[in-house]
Amino acid sequence: MNRLPARLLLSLLVSLSCVLAMPGASHAAVYAQIEGTGSTWSQLIVEQWIADVDANGMKVVYTGGGSSKGRKDFSQKSTDFAISEIPYQGTDEQGNADTSNGREYSYLPIVAGGTAFTYQLKIGDKPVRNLRLSGETIAKIFTNKITNWSDPAITKDNNGRALPSLDITPVVRADGSGTTAQFTTWMDKEFPSVWRPFFGRSGLTSYYPRKGRAIAQAGSDQVMNTISGFAGNGTIGYVEYSYPVNKDYPVVKVLNKAGYFVEPTDYNVAVALTKAKINRDKSSALYLTQILDGVYRNADPRAYPVSSYSYMVIPTGKTDSRMTTAKRQTLADFLYYSLCSGQTKAGDFGYSPLPVNLVQAGFEQIGKLKQADPAVNLSNRDVRSCNNPTFDGKNLNKNKLAEVAPQPAACDKTGAGPCGTETGQNKPSTDGGGAATPDANTPAAPGGGGAAAPSAPGGGAPPAVDPATGEVAAPTGDTGTAEEVYANPTELAAERPIDSKTFGWLAAVLAVGIVVLPGVYAASLRRRRRPGGAR
Amino acid sequence: MRPRKLSRRSTGADAVFEHGARAVGASVLVITGGVGVFLAWQAYPTLKRYGLSFFTESQWAPDQDVIGIAAVLTGTVSVALVAMAFAFPLSVLVALYISEYAPARIRSTLVSLVDLMAAVPSIVYGLWGFFLIMPYAAELALWLQRNFGWVPFFKVENTDPDAAVWDTSRYVASAFCAGIAVAMMVMPMACAVMRQVFSQTPQGEKEAALALGATRWGMVTSVVLPFGRGGIIGGTMLGLGRALGETIAVVLIVSPAFEIKPRILEVGTSTVSSLIAGRFGEASTSQLSALLAAGFVLFVITLIVNTLAAVVVNRSRSGAGTDA
Repeated sequence: MNRLPARLLLSLLVSLSCVLAMPGASHAAVYAQIEGTGSTWSQLIVEQWIADVDANGMKVVYTGGGSSKGRKDFSQKSTDFAISEIPYQGTDEQGNADTSNGREYSYLPIVAGGTAFTYQLKIGDKPVRNLRLSGETIAKIFTNKITNWSDPAITKDNNGRALPSLDITPVVRADGSGTTAQFTTWMDKEFPSVWRPFFGRSGLTSYYPRKGRAIAQAGSDQVMNTISGFAGNGTIGYVEYSYPVNKDYPVVKVLNKAGYFVEPTDYNVAVALTKAKINRDKSSALYLTQILDGVYRNADPRAYPVSSYSYMVIPTGKTDSRMTTAKRQTLADFLYYSLCSGQTKAGDFGYSPLPVNLVQAGFEQIGKLKQADPAVNLSNRDVRSCNNPTFDGKNLNKNKLAEVAPQPAACDKTGAGPCGTETGQNKPSTDGGGAATPDANTPAAPGGGGAAAPSAPGGGAPPAVDPATGEVAAPTGDTGTAEEVYANPTELAAERPIDSKTFGWLAAVLAVGIVVLPGVYAASLRRRRRPGGAR
Repeated sequence: MRPRKLSRRSTGADAVFEHGARAVGASVLVITGGVGVFLAWQAYPTLKRYGLSFFTESQWAPDQDVIGIAAVLTGTVSVALVAMAFAFPLSVLVALYISEYAPARIRSTLVSLVDLMAAVPSIVYGLWGFFLIMPYAAELALWLQRNFGWVPFFKVENTDPDAAVWDTSRYVASAFCAGIAVAMMVMPMACAVMRQVFSQTPQGEKEAALALGATRWGMVTSVVLPFGRGGIIGGTMLGLGRALGETIAVVLIVSPAFEIKPRILEVGTSTVSSLIAGRFGEASTSQLSALLAAGFVLFVITLIVNTLAAVVVNRSRSGAGTDA
């Protein structure tokens, strides 16, 4: 009787001692579960990485919650890492401390991506999938200055193509969000005359000031759910590009400084971020953080203006009470995977891989984990062995992805198009197959698209002209041949209320009937069965 | 001669039991009181800083140093009232059916089914409300606005109910939608209280009513309902207490908006508990104090509602309603 438990206990002890003895062994690392909170902007790719490393025995838990929450949880030592779009702000908007509370940390870029504007807009029953807007129009939409989809500014951005007269419902974040911070930074830098009167102050905010028709939702996924929901017609919101890609929802093509409307594909984000200013001062508390003014104004025709990096905050203190060797090892190996092989998945998920120089800088930051705890094993970690799609093998400072990025389609230029290609497919909208030189294939009928588009739906153009691109019998390449959706913004007379009232009351009567009739029927059956109430 | 002194003091095992029971009983008071004191202590800096404007201001914008609970309190009350409007008739009728009409063999199944409803986690009700109920609730809201738009709280601003394409986004994520989901959580609780009180109706009086020729419905209206009046009120108020504090389902369904909005069908509202749940994670010290101050107000309101409910239920135990 007593034998079995004793043996169990013994085997348990043996296995436990094995586990405890592991740190000395060099062949296998010992991992402990690490936990983090923060950005929902980068949550989708982080969750994919977590699923990938799980097979290697690394247990990582990431629960999102917004960048503000991530920074706060980290400062309170309730997490092992945080992910945030913006660094600690020193003091927050209210003058409260937004610092790490003395916990030592380093920033580490983990992934790049574009803040996409996704929308649901139906004409008839068909969703519009190729909307394009200039930055100023977007800023005006989110500050309630443009309130209808048939607004002339929107029509102009779409080269005269009018959208239905439908109220615009912006969907914004209700929680403290890095996506909001990135978006408002962009508005504050590029369109201060639109943003500042609306906000009442200058600068960025993590808490979007919801006003008017706007709907607020917590977390990127809830914003996406609201836009893609049954009541989403006419809504537009801002989330990382991966969310609409995941849901197969269209995104706005945003006008860049070169006059092209572009989608935040991994290529366009990579091109835009070549102009990002990264803080290279190693002594600075903001080492490796980003200044994006150059990105917003990047004159490359392929650049997506609202691109940015997302950062992980890792604890680097020697005496950090939450960290152990096993946890540091897990964090280091998880980051090693994320920065190397993990980056190859970024493009497919709607993010953009980090350029190699940032990966290398990230490795140096990981090295701080070893400085804090010499027992952490970081051998065999080299950037050159990293399988990173931006790396061309020789020059670390070059971003291969940005060099091979295809030029935008000619119909994406202002005054041309609009292209019929669907957005939100994670495919570049381009004329040629691979890399094309800018403006090499100038549209043969530049005026044709502009003049004909609003009045001639789809096949109205001459047969020789591709209806999707406005190009004369050009090889379509990646350009889809999706049918364009058009609308004439005509205000329909409201239906006669008398009709709906009649049907309304009929509905009420039916509802009562459904409840009462079975009972009445059952009672009548019973009465019939006992004729005359036999007593 | 003086009478012998009687000692009320218990001895031996009795004393141990008495003191033990008293200590355990007191711990409930200590815990509840502790919660209240903790909340009040945390709320003090906020209440001192914002003063009365904490109760009159509707905006909750900590980044602009403007904080008030007028809007969230209105939202809390409207969600709770919508919930009770659905839950009250449902729970009375279900309780009556189970205690008076249901055949004996399915009665226990029904009771456990209703109890099962109480066991479903509230996040499930939230998802149910968000994905399954909201589309239909929005259409119901449109119908209400069309036909009863003249009632102030059925109004929806800036939208035309007779438009060719109705403006769906104005009718979702409202107090009305959240109230439906909360009603499903409140119903089993209210129903359990009512069923218990109904089942305490003196059998003799029920049989007397039937013997005098009353139909079963007549017996219910003349005996069971008057006897159970206290239970109905008490159960309803207990349910109301829970509806006031319901959190996760509301967080999932409503779109936070800080306006004093009596228009329950219109998009956007906020309740005290959903505000706390939504903002707790990222709150700094002073924001936390503000959230806990809101929580303190809710605590006091819920305490009052539940105490009233308990008083009413206790009174009803005597069956006072049937004396007349």
